[in-house]
Amino acid sequence: MRSPLIPEMATQEVQLNETLAHLKTESETLKSKLEEERAKLHDVELHQVAEKVEGLGQFVMKTRRTLKGHGNKVLCMDWCKDKRRIVSSSQDGKVIVWDAFTTNKEHAVTMPCTWVMACAYAPSGCAVACGGLDNKCSVYPLSLDKNENLAAKKKSVAMHTNYLSACSFTNSDMQILTSSGDGTCALWDVESGQLLQSFHGHAADVLCLDLAPSETGNTFVSGGCDKKANVWDMRSGQCIQSFETHESDINSVRYYPSGDAFASGSDDATCRLYDLRADREVAIYSKESIIFGVSSVDFSLSGRLLFGGYNDYTINVWDVLKGTRVSILFGHENRVSTLRVSPDGTAFCTGSWDHTLRIWA
Amino acid sequence: MKDGIANNSTASISQARKAVEQLKMEACMDRIKVSKAAADLMAYCDAHIREDPLIMPVPASENPFREKKFFCTIL
Repeated sequence: MRSPLIPEMATQEVQLNETLAHLKTESETLKSKLEEERAKLHDVELHQVAEKVEGLGQFVMKTRRTLKGHGNKVLCMDWCKDKRRIVSSSQDGKVIVWDAFTTNKEHAVTMPCTWVMACAYAPSGCAVACGGLDNKCSVYPLSLDKNENLAAKKKSVAMHTNYLSACSFTNSDMQILTSSGDGTCALWDVESGQLLQSFHGHAADVLCLDLAPSETGNTFVSGGCDKKANVWDMRSGQCIQSFETHESDINSVRYYPSGDAFASGSDDATCRLYDLRADREVAIYSKESIIFGVSSVDFSLSGRLLFGGYNDYTINVWDVLKGTRVSILFGHENRVSTLRVSPDGTAFCTGSWDHTLRIWA
Repeated sequence: MKDGIANNSTASISQARKAVEQLKMEACMDRIKVSKAAADLMAYCDAHIREDPLIMPVPASENPFREKKFFCTIL
């Protein structure tokens, strides 16, 4: 800042700086108090409590289907509630709907942009949402007529001021939640395209989000380049809890099936588990030999297994309670960029920079 | 320029105030002990593990992905 030209300006500047300094100190004090409060309840580690739990047996999980058809890196995928259809999106601008049982492609849309980083299936199974470098989230109704041009029925719903990193329908086809490189999340009405609520609090790009299981109420969690995972109240727009223990970007967040906790995956090569009622991190899933970032995480149906897709092309399977790795899966020939367990837990799907998707069971 | 400097500082102050309010709100939360939270996580796993097809595999004939049947579509 250049030196002020007028004495009264100097005084004003000094006063403003003092107020700022005072507020920053107050902030630091509150943060320490918060840590103290959290620490008081840290009476035991999850893996210690879990010592008495029966260990898991050997796992036989392998690729059961390979979905080929994308011309470039697969960036995102989502399951349909019917447990067999999948939507995937790619750097080549294509969004494809597959029947995972038969590996047939049912629909394909070419987006006007490359790097379609986000896609989601509507709960009804009748539409898909997607977006990326176009800064938008668009909804395409899926037609039963295979010859119909899906692009013609496209509806632009969300508008951000930077790339769309993730999107998810809420519990109906009527609302979509988005996260963006512009540092915000937003809730939109699909029909009108109206912004219903925006969520401010991240200090950098928001990379991922996940909605709480419907039984647990109207919250969602987001993760970002500011290394924070934030839990939000969807109605008020308030950030109700914040966790900052990762050492790098958080690429993926996923709720534990009970809704009482969530897992995260980060560029710091770890996955972590945060319990919402204890308000703290309760487990870290890491190994010295794992040095590449985690791009995506998801739980098995019971919550006992955590699957992580990594930038070293592998999938690591973790025992959530004991904190140990139970399996490592090979197959992809480039980074695993996206991973989701099917709605009935019978399989999980991964998408990769090797242009393919794999179904594992 | 006077306004420029004032605006920069007021924006930072506004942000700092929001941060303080946010922290005050988070401080009011009711928390439970990790031992209780851990017990609940374990209880959930235990209650659902038998229905988890990736842990307790169902017979191959019931898991469409593990079935050895090959699907054909009529073109």
